[in-house]
Amino acid sequence: MAILGIPILENLYPVTMDMWPVQAKEFNRIWQFYENLKQGRFTTTKCKDCGKVAYPPRVVCPDCYSENLEYIDLPTKGKVIIFSEEVRGVPLGFESPLIHAVIDLGVEPVRRLLSRIVNCPAGYLKEGDEVQLCVFPVPSHPIEKGKQGTIMVDRVFFAFEPVKKP
Amino acid sequence: MARRAVILAGGQCKWGVREAHLVDLFQEAAKACFDDIPTLKPKDVDGLIVATSYAGRCSFQVNTAPVIAERLGLKPTSICTRCDTLCAGGSTGIILAKGLVEAGMADIVMVAGGEKLYTPQKWEVFYSELASVDHDWDGAQGMGLPPPFFALTAKEHMKHYGTKKEDLAAVSVTNYNYAVDNPVAQMQKALTLEEAMNAPEVVPPLTLYDCCPITDGAAACIITTDEIAKKLTDRPLVYIRGVAQVCLNSVTANFPGEHLADWKHLRVAAEKAYKVAKVSPSDIKVAQTHDCFSISEVIEVEELGFCKKGEGGSFCSSGQIRIGGKVPINTDGGLLACGHPFGATGIRQAIEIMKQLQGRARHQVKDADIGLTHNLSGANAEHTILIYGREPVK
Repeated sequence: MAILGIPILENLYPVTMDMWPVQAKEFNRIWQFYENLKQGRFTTTKCKDCGKVAYPPRVVCPDCYSENLEYIDLPTKGKVIIFSEEVRGVPLGFESPLIHAVIDLGVEPVRRLLSRIVNCPAGYLKEGDEVQLCVFPVPSHPIEKGKQGTIMVDRVFFAFEPVKKP
Repeated sequence: MARRAVILAGGQCKWGVREAHLVDLFQEAAKACFDDIPTLKPKDVDGLIVATSYAGRCSFQVNTAPVIAERLGLKPTSICTRCDTLCAGGSTGIILAKGLVEAGMADIVMVAGGEKLYTPQKWEVFYSELASVDHDWDGAQGMGLPPPFFALTAKEHMKHYGTKKEDLAAVSVTNYNYAVDNPVAQMQKALTLEEAMNAPEVVPPLTLYDCCPITDGAAACIITTDEIAKKLTDRPLVYIRGVAQVCLNSVTANFPGEHLADWKHLRVAAEKAYKVAKVSPSDIKVAQTHDCFSISEVIEVEELGFCKKGEGGSFCSSGQIRIGGKVPINTDGGLLACGHPFGATGIRQAIEIMKQLQGRARHQVKDADIGLTHNLSGANAEHTILIYGREPVK
């Protein structure tokens, strides 16, 4: 038996139920972060007035409330501080093993970044292992653009992966 | 004379996997609440604060307060609103109600919390958990369902302080056994240490009984002033002496502690709540701490000052959280055994502390005069504490 969707939603993509961030310029002022990701860069915003580097990126500095911000590169390699592995009961949208790690990218404010570890079998990762940024495509979604009609926008997201391939 | 807030009465429906709609659960809880105070009628209630977080995702219902008010036969004239602080929603509602009645903006407020989490398809509630954490950052990293985060927390505690799996299991065993005779708890199972140690794996080192279940349920309580309460009841008054709600981060990358087992935000909350309530940790005779996971309770007894940092494991496994121990905790079964319908949990905790301070709890702590409730919410993003007492702050 085919499983049907809600009839009135057939062929529609419910973006408000999406597990990935809405990244398009039309809907997100930190779209630059995602554009940088597409280039393999892991970035965040730095305040040009007070120097505060905040993660995740902002549109207003959380320290001095300046809007004078710039994107700076963060390291794309780090070390695993601690990790967990979920093999059974992995939630919808993620593959087994679902591995999470607190990783140290060596600079503030990402000395304790919590990330998914991908391209890594269960039982392989160890504390202290080196990991690197991994950018991957996630599903495109539609945006209504008035007279232009509906367009699809490409998206990416990130995780980290072991530097030493399993 | 200053208006002083008290918790007058409270009740909850049966928690668990319920064949019921969200609004059914709220009606059952409100009935249980009014049954606890027969002198109070729905028409006397002039304020309603509803605590629910998943209504929008699981019941397709936002703006829940008017819906609940109508179904409960309430006609609020002072306040009718909803609050959403996830696991701390019920406690937040009580804090807001205290402020309103003490400010003279409301007289008798019902705080009602509930969730309907068993949806016709389980994946929908699991998927909706992506909204419980900072969605675009931690949700998209697969941190929606909390076991991985608390597994990391447990591993950090084991690494830094030598805590053992047996210590975690001792929390589960203690809390489950408090709930064996609690008819409204989700789990009424006598749990042995052996069973807890050999339970199916969830995310190592966490196993089945280390994790609270998913729960349908609701609870309701009445917050009013001591002067009004005296006209309605002969029971001892239970004052809300002091509260604190602390948020220092949302995204896990900005976790405020040195590591995931170092809960600085809870220490800040505890310090403030004790100061406002004019008590110290040694004054707390009974507590309800947020045991969403066994490891949570181990860390909470440390950060709340019941034992030294790092000694939470041995504190729990040596019986200090049992009746007769230093601070009996989660004497109704806690989240682990009662279950955890997010918005209702803080109200359940408040009801248990009220009963303890009135001398009518099922597992009564002798001479309990000061009690505490605590919640953590989100991916350990916020800590909420309320301190109750038989006497007001002087």
